[in-house]
Amino acid sequence: MTRLIDPSLHKLSFIMSEMGDMVIESISLAIDSYLIGTNTKDKVLKLSDAIRVKYFEVEDLTFDMLLKYQPVADDFRLIRSSTEISYAFSRFGRYAYDITLVRDLFGDVSECTNASLVESTKKVKHMIKAAVLSFAELDVRIAVEIHEDEKYIDRIYRERLPKLIESTNTRCALAEALLLRYLERIGDHAVFMSDAISYIVTGKHRPSEERIASHTKTEN
Amino acid sequence: MNSVQDRRQEYRSLFKQNVAKRLLVDKAVRIIVFSCVIIAIIPLGSILVEVFKNGLTAISIEFLTETPGSAGSGEGGIGPAIQGTLIIIGLSSLIGVPIGVMSGIFLSEYGDNALARFVRFFNDVFMEFPSIILGIFAFLIIVLVIGHFSVWAGAFALSLIMFPIVTRTTEESLKMVPMTYREAGTALGLKKWVITFRIVISTAKSGVITGILLSVSRIGGETAPLIMTILGSSQFFSSMDTPMDALPLRIWRLSLLPYDSAQLQGWGAALVLIMIILGINLGIKYQFMNKKNGLFRQLIRQRRNATK
Amino acid sequence: MTALTTKPTSLEAFPFAYEPSTTVDTSKYKMVAENVTVSYGGVDAVKNVTMKFKEKSVTALIGPSGCGKTTFLRCLNRMHDMTKNAKVTGKVMIDDVDLYSKEIDPIYHRRKVGMVFQKPNPFPTMSIYDNVTAGLRLNGVRDKKILDEIVEDSLKMAYLWDEVKNDLKKPAIELSGGQQQRLCIARALAIQPEVLLMDEPASALDPIATQKIEETIIELKNDYTIIIVTHNMQQAIRVSDYTGFMYLGNLIEFRETKKLFTDPKDELTAKYVQGHFG
Repeated sequence: MTRLIDPSLHKLSFIMSEMGDMVIESISLAIDSYLIGTNTKDKVLKLSDAIRVKYFEVEDLTFDMLLKYQPVADDFRLIRSSTEISYAFSRFGRYAYDITLVRDLFGDVSECTNASLVESTKKVKHMIKAAVLSFAELDVRIAVEIHEDEKYIDRIYRERLPKLIESTNTRCALAEALLLRYLERIGDHAVFMSDAISYIVTGKHRPSEERIASHTKTEN
Repeated sequence: MNSVQDRRQEYRSLFKQNVAKRLLVDKAVRIIVFSCVIIAIIPLGSILVEVFKNGLTAISIEFLTETPGSAGSGEGGIGPAIQGTLIIIGLSSLIGVPIGVMSGIFLSEYGDNALARFVRFFNDVFMEFPSIILGIFAFLIIVLVIGHFSVWAGAFALSLIMFPIVTRTTEESLKMVPMTYREAGTALGLKKWVITFRIVISTAKSGVITGILLSVSRIGGETAPLIMTILGSSQFFSSMDTPMDALPLRIWRLSLLPYDSAQLQGWGAALVLIMIILGINLGIKYQFMNKKNGLFRQLIRQRRNATK
Repeated sequence: MTALTTKPTSLEAFPFAYEPSTTVDTSKYKMVAENVTVSYGGVDAVKNVTMKFKEKSVTALIGPSGCGKTTFLRCLNRMHDMTKNAKVTGKVMIDDVDLYSKEIDPIYHRRKVGMVFQKPNPFPTMSIYDNVTAGLRLNGVRDKKILDEIVEDSLKMAYLWDEVKNDLKKPAIELSGGQQQRLCIARALAIQPEVLLMDEPASALDPIATQKIEETIIELKNDYTIIIVTHNMQQAIRVSDYTGFMYLGNLIEFRETKKLFTDPKDELTAKYVQGHFG
């Protein structure tokens, strides 16, 4: 039996899947810009803007559904998490754009790439794909992997930053600092997204103290 | 949507367009119905007119208060008959009403069993009993036993006619009280008899009273049972163990006499009897329609509030 | 969007998903219904239902039409005594006294439980004042001073006092639907119950009147244990602390309201609250 809310839910899932595809594309393009050296700024900007527009659409749709249908249970959790997830998508788009700006400002920095950066990049690629897939299939098991990846990226970030201060190559050091920063932020949002997906499936939140603590904790 | 419009056209064409014929049929039916009503009313109306016409001249203060004079003299009145009618109606009600109301309460509130079904059936049959048989019955078990005519016997006979009507109307009125009021009473922790008497009866009050008044006006005109039990007399009421006069008896007696003056008095008595019964009925209408807390008005008020 | 995939049964696999421990609720149970079964002429309308009601809480009973929630509610004050062919087995304890035990006087204990019905039913031949005091007067309470006090208290608790205080002798049926229902609440409160049963109290009322009734329920929660049957799930979410979902005579799920509506444990519950049937 089709309920009144079903068409809106389908529309929501359609928009989100479009956003997911755009996120994957924009992140790939952004990564190419520093690994290979291609200037993808304009393309990624377009994608990022499009993602942002879709984010506002999702917000409108969410509140419209709350107003009209007063959803409960699974519907409710889905809608509630969709705001968090679509915001995460919009952030991914934005950081992808920021990354292409590095290439734009600094020129080709492909020679600056080192092992840690490559590893972090791999992790981010994996994380983004996992996040989008996890949401599409509402599979919480993938979400565990995201947490592992994020921890790794965090560690790299904290280890490399002090070393960059010692570095002699200012250009590469600055570029790498910015890139690592953006990758770390992407990682954070991916984790928020996986928590939101977990909430949809399990109905349980990550407790807020843990959320705050994990975000500001110092690794020792 | 074209298909909807097409379908509409198609179905509309099916309706017979014969407006003129339909209006004619309508009018014809209306005329037939009205004529039936008129045919029904004419006899009743003509009776009333006859009684008024013939009886009005007989009415006077003396007529209403004096004892009958010698047969055929044209003097005297029907005072004892009026008194007798009022007494016999009063006594019968005293016996018949409580029994009837209690039975009605039993059938309505406690009546979901075999005994109640039997009582109900018996009640319905009893309502149809010819009144003369009830008169004979009273004659046999009271008059013959005590050896003389008695007002008690008359009251007894009339109450037998009265109580099935009261039972039936009381039961119906109580049944009309929605179940939800009884439930509310139960939820408040009230005992069943309190709910029945203080809430249900008070809500059904006008219906019950209407039933009582209907039965009163019925027995007001009964003649046969009275012949066998109080016989009739020319004196005012003296004691419970002597014959007593009543309007139906007096009318009957007067109408059998060959004198014109007696006939006139008979018409007058008939008029008085009809006026008494008419008065009771008008009283019912007034009580039912206008009384502030009558059930009819309550229902109207509730309907109005529900749509507010 | 594909359907939800496997719901995790154990929480260890998901270190970020756990339930914070709630403080233990030590409030006692005001009313406990144990293994209650109601059958009408051989057909079970309520099948072996057990529910516990904490004192000063509001519990909502939801479920599709015919699921037995009203039948169950009526067991809690022995209303089925009035119905022929109704057989009730099981226990209903108020403060550890079983309402259905043979030794106790049901009328005395029935007064501990007040009831408000779906369609407002103030006694039509009585005034507002007489309606509120009906449960007392008709039980022999005559002291006018006490009755006056109780009338004022009850009408205030039902949020009706200000609207009718100058007109207490007015016939009760001249009030509007919402006012009549609040009058019925006042009438139920006048007998000083401890538990209040409400059978879809707002379903016959317009939205504004409904809102007033809900506000009243939330206020009353401070002093009474309330059990309310409702068709309106948003109403259940707004006013109740606990919710029980019944289906075809069985109690399917009984939990804290917020949890039941955001994360129902049972498939059937999830289907019902999301409108897949019913």
